[in-house]
Amino acid sequence: MISFETIVFYLLAALSVFAAVRVITARNPVHAALFLVLAFCGMAGIWLLLEAEFLAMTLILVYVGAVMVLFLFVVMMLDIDLVQLREGFWRWFPFGVALAAVMVFEMVWVLGNNRTAETGTALVKHDADYSNVKELGRLIYTDYVFPFELAAVLLLIAIVAAIALTLRRRKDSKTQNVAQQVAVKRADRIRIVKVPAEKRGE
Amino acid sequence: MTYLSTLVPAYAEIFLLVMVCAILIVDLFVTDPNRIVTYLLVQLTLLGCALITVSTYQPGVVHLFHNTFVDDMMSDVLKLLSYLAMSMALVYSRHYLMARGLFTGEFMVLALFALLGMMVMISASHFISLYIGLELLSLSLYAMVALQRDSAVATEAAMKYFILGALASGLLLYGMSMLYGATGSLDVNAISAAISHGVENKQLLTFGLVFIVAGLAFKLGAVPFHMWVPDVYHGAPTAMTLIIGSAPKLAAFAFVMRLLVESMQPLMMHWSGMLAILAVLSMALGNISAIAQTNLKRMFAYSTIAHMGFLLLGVLSGNIDGYSSAMFYAVVYVLMSLGGFGMIMLLSRAGFEADNLDDFKGLNQRSPWLAFIMLLLMFSMAGVPPTVGFYAKFSVLQAAVNAGHIPLVVMAVLFSLIGAFYYLRIVKLMYFDAPESHVPISMQPDSSVLISFNGLAVLLLGILPGNLMAVCAVSVQQSLLLH
Amino acid sequence: MSNFSLYLLVPLAPLLGAILAGLFGKVLGRAWSHRVTIALVAVSFFASLRIFQDVLDGHTFNGAVYQWMTSGDISLEVGFLIDHLTVLMMLVVTFVSLMVHIYTIGYMEEDDGYQRFFSYISLFTFSMLMLVMANNFMQLFFGWEAVGLVSYLLIGFWFKRETAIYANLKAFLVNRVGDFGFLLGIGLILMVFGSLDYATVFASAASHANDMAPIPGVSWNMMTAICILLFIGAMGKSAQFPLHVWLPDSMEGPTPISALIHAATMVTAGIFMVSRMSPLFELSDTALSFVMVIGAITALFMGFLGIIQNDIKRVVAYSTLSQLGYMTCALGASAYSVAIFHLMTHAFFKALLFLAAGSVIIGMHHDQDIRNMGGLRKYMPITWITFLIGTLALIGTPFLSGFYSKDSIIEAVEASGLPVKDFVYIALRMGVFVTAFYSFRLYFLVFHGTERFGKAHHDHHGDHADEEVAADHHHGLAPGQKPHESSWVVTLPLVLLAIPSLAIGYFTIEPILYGSFLKDAIHVIGSHPAMAELAEEFHGPAAKALASVFDSTLWFAISGVVMAWFFYLKRPDIPEKIKQRFHGIYTVLERKYGFDEFNDWFFAGGARLVSRFLWQFGDVKMIDGMMVNGTARLVGMCSGIVRRFQTGYIYHYAFSMIIGVFVLLSIRELIG
Repeated sequence: MISFETIVFYLLAALSVFAAVRVITARNPVHAALFLVLAFCGMAGIWLLLEAEFLAMTLILVYVGAVMVLFLFVVMMLDIDLVQLREGFWRWFPFGVALAAVMVFEMVWVLGNNRTAETGTALVKHDADYSNVKELGRLIYTDYVFPFELAAVLLLIAIVAAIALTLRRRKDSKTQNVAQQVAVKRADRIRIVKVPAEKRGE
Repeated sequence: MTYLSTLVPAYAEIFLLVMVCAILIVDLFVTDPNRIVTYLLVQLTLLGCALITVSTYQPGVVHLFHNTFVDDMMSDVLKLLSYLAMSMALVYSRHYLMARGLFTGEFMVLALFALLGMMVMISASHFISLYIGLELLSLSLYAMVALQRDSAVATEAAMKYFILGALASGLLLYGMSMLYGATGSLDVNAISAAISHGVENKQLLTFGLVFIVAGLAFKLGAVPFHMWVPDVYHGAPTAMTLIIGSAPKLAAFAFVMRLLVESMQPLMMHWSGMLAILAVLSMALGNISAIAQTNLKRMFAYSTIAHMGFLLLGVLSGNIDGYSSAMFYAVVYVLMSLGGFGMIMLLSRAGFEADNLDDFKGLNQRSPWLAFIMLLLMFSMAGVPPTVGFYAKFSVLQAAVNAGHIPLVVMAVLFSLIGAFYYLRIVKLMYFDAPESHVPISMQPDSSVLISFNGLAVLLLGILPGNLMAVCAVSVQQSLLLH
Repeated sequence: MSNFSLYLLVPLAPLLGAILAGLFGKVLGRAWSHRVTIALVAVSFFASLRIFQDVLDGHTFNGAVYQWMTSGDISLEVGFLIDHLTVLMMLVVTFVSLMVHIYTIGYMEEDDGYQRFFSYISLFTFSMLMLVMANNFMQLFFGWEAVGLVSYLLIGFWFKRETAIYANLKAFLVNRVGDFGFLLGIGLILMVFGSLDYATVFASAASHANDMAPIPGVSWNMMTAICILLFIGAMGKSAQFPLHVWLPDSMEGPTPISALIHAATMVTAGIFMVSRMSPLFELSDTALSFVMVIGAITALFMGFLGIIQNDIKRVVAYSTLSQLGYMTCALGASAYSVAIFHLMTHAFFKALLFLAAGSVIIGMHHDQDIRNMGGLRKYMPITWITFLIGTLALIGTPFLSGFYSKDSIIEAVEASGLPVKDFVYIALRMGVFVTAFYSFRLYFLVFHGTERFGKAHHDHHGDHADEEVAADHHHGLAPGQKPHESSWVVTLPLVLLAIPSLAIGYFTIEPILYGSFLKDAIHVIGSHPAMAELAEEFHGPAAKALASVFDSTLWFAISGVVMAWFFYLKRPDIPEKIKQRFHGIYTVLERKYGFDEFNDWFFAGGARLVSRFLWQFGDVKMIDGMMVNGTARLVGMCSGIVRRFQTGYIYHYAFSMIIGVFVLLSIRELIG
């Protein structure tokens, strides 16, 4: 008897795979981005099934809410000629598909071949008052404090890199420096030169 | 015992992080002409790290932060060498970057961040910290490559590096998650214990292994995960190429050791087979492609690929001799590559890159001493005795022979013979061709003294390799046996 | 200071000097270059003295200093074997080297390559010390090649002179022949004994005495093959017939190095090496006979050539060849200690002769032709008296050092049990006469008789091609100009070398030959009785000198001196007549038995013929056409193809990574 959860899982999984395929096949970049959002939603659903509510929420908030919106902005603002970009796509498509098929086959073979017993431990069910966020927080600040701090450093690097790469003082930009203009002295601007008197030309 | 005193083994990392933040702030108040202040601070930081690492040395293996951090002799040695390599790279780069307006605080801060990443990788005993260290390093490097924004090649190189790096990270993470699925842990020691106790789903384990090896191969630049190497080495400003091509190789070696050897020694049969293919392909493609290059940086890129093949050959021997010879090889490679790229920067000047083979024509007439140093470096890369490159190759080959990989060794020798051609071609250009340019070489005192030491070290270590080899052997032995 | 660091100090001090003078010569300047190198060689000499005392106290040493690498079971290491033999050689080398260093200040005064020269001779000292201190064949070979290299550099020191270039090329090529044999010998040792360590090899030598060499079709005793190959190496380095041709030409180098390298030390490396290998040579009578015959031929026939030479240095050079022949004979007679004894005394008096000859050359303003000299006694008293001492020592005047060593050699050959000893004995006795004759011919022509210098000397050109070219370099004295005594830096070494030339034989013959001094370093088996018989007849150095009056050997020498006096002082017209009467013999001698012509025709010409064939067929067609260019084309082609993969498109790169993963996955399947 298939449980309700299993049915939901397969539904969400099918949705995610479909959306992912559409991301690369959609002709319109905006559609592709939206399909990516859909794929994320599907994944968030799967995480919910696994009782990882916090991760599911973060995925929606961060990826769907922030990253993808930014992405859409960029896609809409840049005039990308996808048709040109996708030139040769179909020419190489069979190779790609073939390789992907072989990979999938291998993966299925490897992972499916060994399902003699249910490998892995079964999901631990928790009570209603169990707080996923609290557990995560506890882990992050105890067992994983080292990687967690380093992840913060990673963000710092990202900030430094982003600023270094984008902050640009144009050399040819014309700006006024009011303070300098006010503080100017006569000597800075005027130079008195003595020109010897010339004789009348012959 | 206070909490702080338990952190002693990680003092170097903590000090570095604190100093980076301090330098970030100090740099705000430093104007471009005084950038040397930042530079000196950075060098002092490196010196401080070295002092801390030396003074906090303790025999044995110490785990920290719930087994995510490990301090053993191998990590201490590799860290010290990384400081040295980074410091040398900065000395070589200073004038080069100043001439190109890239001598900025950001550059130096990113370099230190990269170093932090390497240190984390070197000391990681948990897949999460390993991965975060890798990302720290990679992100800094991506940004450094892109720093020269006005250069189309540099931007393109950064883009390629970034995207392919992301792909490789994806592969690596996927592999790690498979491993987690199979063993129920991400801790290096726990995984090792789980595997030796027998895992129910061994297929899953080896399946994960494939992706981990792929991620590693990308980091090392082994064929067929090497495509980024030539483009990035070539496209990035030489100073950045130098940083990418030197110290990170030490971290990559540690990465290989922690991932494959320490956690998956029982699976050696599996990964050594994969490494064998990567090694042979790398040596073949690296050496053969290098011949067709006219750009020195590109040539060095391919030669790096070949050298990494050699390094893998040492690792796949799967015994202590093999690992220590691979470590020796990594150290020697870093030394040679510092010298090689350092030479390019020394010969470059504002608006001119001395990265074409033709730029080295007749170097002997322009500066016999530099030509001699370059000769030593090239001999060493080609593996000509009595330079250290010979000894490095020799010890790797010996370990591989002892492990019974005779066909691999034969191929390695063949390909390094092919490789000797393009190194010796440079020697020929330097000594037997007429110079094309007669612009005097502007010798900066710091970098020219350093390159002399660099070149002579290559010779001296070749004549007296014993001590370094012993250090490598002892540290590898210690970190393997005590874990 | 511990012994160990003392051992290290001995070779490393000159090396440091060489580095300082060579790399930083310009910075140091001339004066500091010679001060530094001389001080460091002096350090080396005094350290050797200290070690000498130590060894006398019985502290020998044999051990590795540094292990360079191991390959399988064979370890290549730097190691020292410090015993009586080594320390004797160390003393000789450092002392003569020190003298030569000091002397060079005066001799090279005006040369541009002043610092370079000091660097070379210090480097030579280092290499020679590494050679004698070696405790394994690897290091021996290193030292062997290193001294050869420095010798090559020094012969060609005046590289702008055609003859110097020719001479150093010749020295190089001839030595390659010897080294080839030497290397083969070492290879055989490695094959037979599986080790390159002296102690290991010597310990198991006896057990391999009857092995057969694995040369198909020939049944050679293995030991014989090894010893003869090793001796071929010695023949090259110690200029034994027929590989002697390079030594006379090596006189193209500056005189100080002729003294140091081509008389006192390097050329004796072969003698030293054979003595060191005595446990091996003892096992093969065939090899010993071979050694003895070669030595006898060299001793006698090279002496003849000395008679007709007119270049002061060449006369001394031929006498060196002849004396090396004597040493070799002693080796063949199993009297290794006698050979070493003669090596030592010869080092002193021959260095003295060369340096004195150099002093004469300075006095004559670089004119080396003895026909332009004469009567120099008055002008150069110190040079004269020291040269006389050297000459007397060389011909074997009783009580002088050369007497003891040379006489012992002749006696040892007489007592030898080898079947060839009669021929050798006669040759050596004749050699005594010849030596006395040419030595005193030289002495009389240079220091006595009429003063022939100061004339325009261009009409004195011989018809010999070498001399003609060499003469271009000679300045000579202007008419009316008088030679003068050299400065103290030149005469001091002469005096210091004259002392051991006079006395060292008297004081050391007993411990070295008959005492226990070399007992542990040299190994003689019972069936070679020469040394034992000598010991029976020996009743102290004074008695030996007095007894020589009743020995015909001394009278051979005296008659040689008298004849020289008669021919070149009393009746100078006779030699000219003899020359015309026996024109054929004279020509043979003048052509040096035609060895140079033969070598040029047979080896050089033959080599050219063979190489032309190899070049045309082997090189151009096979190697260039198929192997090199073929490989290069193939590699180039591969390279071009591979290069095409590097398209620059990022999705190609990503695709390649995916293929990589795929390949790895498949491998995983294969491994299972």
